[in-house]
Amino acid sequence: MPEKLIIDSTEDTPKVIFDAENKIFQISERSLPENAIGFYESLLNWLTQYSKNPIELTIFDFKLEYFNTASAKQIAKILLILENIGKKKNVVINWYFKKEDADMLSSGTRFSKLINLNFNFAEY
Amino acid sequence: MQNEHEKVLNFVLTLFKAMQKDNLGYVYRGRFTQDITDNILALTENKLEKEEQSAKIKKRVYSILVECLQNITRHQDDAKVDSPDSNGLFVIQKHDEKYFITTGNLVMNDNIDYIKNLIETINGLEKEDLKDYYKMVLEDGSLSSKGGAGLGLIDMARKSGNKLLYQFRPIDDKSSFFYLHTIPSLEGLDLKSGNKAESLNNIIDIHNTLNKKNILLVSNGPFNQESLMILLGSLEGQMTGTISHKKKVFFVVVEMLQNIVKHGFNADSNCLGMPGIFIISEHEGHYTITTGNYVNAYKYESLKNKIENVNNLSKEKLDEYFNKCLFDFEIDSSKKAGLGIIDLRIKSGNPIAYSFNKVSNEAYFFSLHTTINKE
Repeated sequence: MPEKLIIDSTEDTPKVIFDAENKIFQISERSLPENAIGFYESLLNWLTQYSKNPIELTIFDFKLEYFNTASAKQIAKILLILENIGKKKNVVINWYFKKEDADMLSSGTRFSKLINLNFNFAEY
Repeated sequence: MQNEHEKVLNFVLTLFKAMQKDNLGYVYRGRFTQDITDNILALTENKLEKEEQSAKIKKRVYSILVECLQNITRHQDDAKVDSPDSNGLFVIQKHDEKYFITTGNLVMNDNIDYIKNLIETINGLEKEDLKDYYKMVLEDGSLSSKGGAGLGLIDMARKSGNKLLYQFRPIDDKSSFFYLHTIPSLEGLDLKSGNKAESLNNIIDIHNTLNKKNILLVSNGPFNQESLMILLGSLEGQMTGTISHKKKVFFVVVEMLQNIVKHGFNADSNCLGMPGIFIISEHEGHYTITTGNYVNAYKYESLKNKIENVNNLSKEKLDEYFNKCLFDFEIDSSKKAGLGIIDLRIKSGNPIAYSFNKVSNEAYFFSLHTTINKE
């Protein structure tokens, strides 16, 4: 189990908590960095490491207010790793969206159609 | 419609050139709220940090800014006139290592004589006398209901170390638009030279164009992630409408600005950021966002193909294409559009309007135009 990964948010990058011991997997706030590949690299590395020995049930929260298209591709990568984990253990995606934020809901719906995992949609 | 777009796109290049000529950095036209004021200050601070060495100049420019912005806020409700000119104006530019700050607001014609006399009096005083005059006005009880009585103007003259330039543009028999032009510098300047007045006239011309098209904000680069974040902040403060509409506008702005940062062409390697122009205008709740930037000539064909390709797809095909690109992690080949362009097309619901103007053998000026309709 990799050491927990915690990244504080900035005005253009999200808050990240990857803590397998306490079963918290969350990305929240805003993601619109210019260099999304650079920012998400450590997240993807962590998840790849984690996928070797995941816990029984991984509940992954996406609680984003906003993300740019460059971040969308990186989120797609994260979901692909989670999809792989889902082949041997249970994985659930909680996709949060603000009331009235139709775009965030439809982004989640789009991913749920393309990724073979259970998605819960919840207003916050 | 296409014709209308062409007109807009030609206008972008014209405005870009006009702003380049005068080094206009940032133009804001609209209501001045606390948020907007804070953002303009942050944006200028960011610009000063990058460009200006002298701490003294930095401080001067900053304190004059505060004074100018307060002046607009204080007077913006003076005239209850439903005219494009009821919006305040703020402009900052840099010329020959000097900063020029121009503010504008509507004034009633009855007040013009008072303002003129005051500025002429201030301009006629030497530095030492200004101090005394400031004290005198402060002690003389004749303060206006706004608490100003010209103290702001005296202060601006003191801080700038230069004469104040001004102009009144008549609107109708009741009101005029008042332009005030300040140049903070350490040593006094010879303002008799005609080019200062010319520069104010150029601003007035640009302002007329902004009024006609109801443009709220123009930023003339250089663009980088930092200036982008501040621009976004100033937009968030002033947009009206539903949350989802606002977010759409926000989204399109991010994609279009990041497009400049990522794919723009910078002939001047000393410049910290991409040269370009960003314009946002509003009409009855519909927002129009326009960007212009240089692109390397060898990218022209492929960029054009990408946009045409995306423009020709049906709604369903567009959706499929988006999904395909979302999971395509290969480096974009020439035919493939980036996710950003596809999403601009989806979010705006219209074909993407664009134009290319050849500016040299190595570069084109590329402009992009999107409208987000009110929901």
